[in-house]
Amino acid sequence: MRILVVEDEAKVAKALKEGLEAEHYEVMVARTGEEGFFLANAQTFDLVVLDLMLPGRDGIEVLNTLRKQGLQTPVLILTARDTVEDRVVGLDSGADDYLVKPFAFPELVARIRALLRRGRSDQVLRLKLADLEMDLVTHTAMRGGQALALTAREFDLLEYLLRQQGHVVSREMLARDVWKETSRATPLDNVIDVHVARLRRKVDGPFDVKLLQTVRGVGFVLREGER
Amino acid sequence: MTLYPRSVRVRMTLWFGATLALILLAFSVSIQMFVHARLMRQVNRQLARDLAVVTRVVRDDPDEISEVSELGIALAQVAEGDRTVYRTEDWRRADLDKALKRWGKDLKRDGKRKRSDPVWSWRSDGRSYRLTATTLATSGRDFRIAVAQDEKSVRQNLTTLALMFLIGFPLTLSLAAIGGYFLAGRLLRPVGAMASKAQEITAERLSERLPVASPNDEFGRLATVFNRTLERLENSFEQLRRFTADASHELRTPLTAIRSVGEVALQEPLDPAACRDVIGSMLEEADRLARLVDNLLVLTRADSGRVRPPRTPLDLAALVKDVADCLGVLAEEKKQALTVEIAEPLIVEADRETLRLALINILDNAIKYTPAEGHIRIVVKRRDGKAAVEITDDGPGIPVEHREKIFERFYRIEKARSGETGGTGLGLAIARWAVELNGGRIELESEEGRGSTFRIALPERQGGDVAQT
Repeated sequence: MRILVVEDEAKVAKALKEGLEAEHYEVMVARTGEEGFFLANAQTFDLVVLDLMLPGRDGIEVLNTLRKQGLQTPVLILTARDTVEDRVVGLDSGADDYLVKPFAFPELVARIRALLRRGRSDQVLRLKLADLEMDLVTHTAMRGGQALALTAREFDLLEYLLRQQGHVVSREMLARDVWKETSRATPLDNVIDVHVARLRRKVDGPFDVKLLQTVRGVGFVLREGER
Repeated sequence: MTLYPRSVRVRMTLWFGATLALILLAFSVSIQMFVHARLMRQVNRQLARDLAVVTRVVRDDPDEISEVSELGIALAQVAEGDRTVYRTEDWRRADLDKALKRWGKDLKRDGKRKRSDPVWSWRSDGRSYRLTATTLATSGRDFRIAVAQDEKSVRQNLTTLALMFLIGFPLTLSLAAIGGYFLAGRLLRPVGAMASKAQEITAERLSERLPVASPNDEFGRLATVFNRTLERLENSFEQLRRFTADASHELRTPLTAIRSVGEVALQEPLDPAACRDVIGSMLEEADRLARLVDNLLVLTRADSGRVRPPRTPLDLAALVKDVADCLGVLAEEKKQALTVEIAEPLIVEADRETLRLALINILDNAIKYTPAEGHIRIVVKRRDGKAAVEITDDGPGIPVEHREKIFERFYRIEKARSGETGGTGLGLAIARWAVELNGGRIELESEEGRGSTFRIALPERQGGDVAQT
């Protein structure tokens, strides 16, 4: 999978390149709008990550031109502006998703995965990690053959973590996707921590292999084996 | 519009002058008319008197009429048929017979019109006379008696009067205009003073005030109002300045943490686990920084006044339950008893997101500052005609001196506690903004050592059903 990253800030560009390469994507970086436009035209990418505030040619302009030329590649925009109008302008220009700076890297990866997966059937009815199993139809979760007594919120939380298994999930992602919180200013971090702690007690408590791990400063991850 | 004078002073003077000229004109015309009518009446009366005197003389003795001149009657004539029996010297000189003849023709022509008081004006050689006549039958003879009055004195009087007006008019007007100009200047002087003072007032010198000469007149009131505006401006500038300073300070704290943690970590080689720990710690601070910036953005947008989310009918009890449900786990962790009492169903008109943010911030605050195993009670009820949500805790309470300031940005009762509880110091400020945005008020009642009650009072929606959200 090839990803084009158009980002003028050197440090951010480098971090994105290295981070995405660690996720086994092939990454090209363009440092200006012109260069990004040229690369997107000359080569084929599976996805474009586009910063909106670029020197020379503004990201929205680049995106507009590319879409007019019939480019179908999914585009994820990065922006420091997060008013509703800014989002509307971005999405109207043909962006497929947007992410507000400062963003958590795991969230960017999750969005990229979602965009690349788009169009394919997402109808997963059973989720599984090691001996942890979830049946979304019967709304049950089991570990090692034992049913777990989960609250509705815990069930949603586990489902989300299982869908993102192996990938770190930030609190912000949980607040928005599980708690459906729209404002970043809502103080939900403590609430999330409590729910995760309770879920961990139920999922991992009596078992030797701990699946639900905390990555300090980043978030949580469901994966097999301690790293 | 180039002819329109730009100075208020000149405009005032012109208006004043024009008004005065109109009044003076109307005044002199009516005086002239009045005096004219009065003088004419006097002349007519004199004519009638003269006529009566001459008539009596003729009736006494038609042959001895010459004594008329001795009676001080200057213009008289007595005729019998077409023959003039007597006429005074002045009459002859003024050639008033011609006037009589002319009058006779006119009388014949207008004969059908009966004139009870036949008075007639005659003009000749630049002189004008007023005449009247009557007939008298005595001793078998028919006389016609005519008398006249010279109108010269009347004309003279009127001319003098007109002359007086003509001279007095421009004089008065110019005097009044000059006076008005100076008066307007005097009246407008405070405006000039205010303008030059206002010119000096800039964002840096907002403490200056306009001079208030007399606080009760219009200009004084204007200056007072302006000064009050300045005061409000100064206050908000001051608030802004403090806010910026506080914000920089608050941003500095996590930045310092990131920096020092990084610097210390780089001083000696670390094993991977320690390295992860250091980076994790730095990321935590970055998170705090991001949270702070998010909150600051909410408030900055609030300050710009552009945030006006549409209000929709909202089931207040449902929203409160939802919030309590969401944050309930935090209370559980601290073994606090969190209860929700819905006294009655209440529908308010509000924006769900902002109102929810307010409720979450206040409840979060209550849970945070109430010790473990404490009690937090949320009551939804109608109070003083408003829909009210009361969040009462039995925590330490808030000392009187902090109660006013607790809703201010970055205000914390104990400065040192901020790091420990992880708050940004903006939660209650955001809550107040969010409540006020929805047309409500937020109040605090507290008793030290007994706990606090935060009350959100919102206008209740009148009639109608709640839309399902």
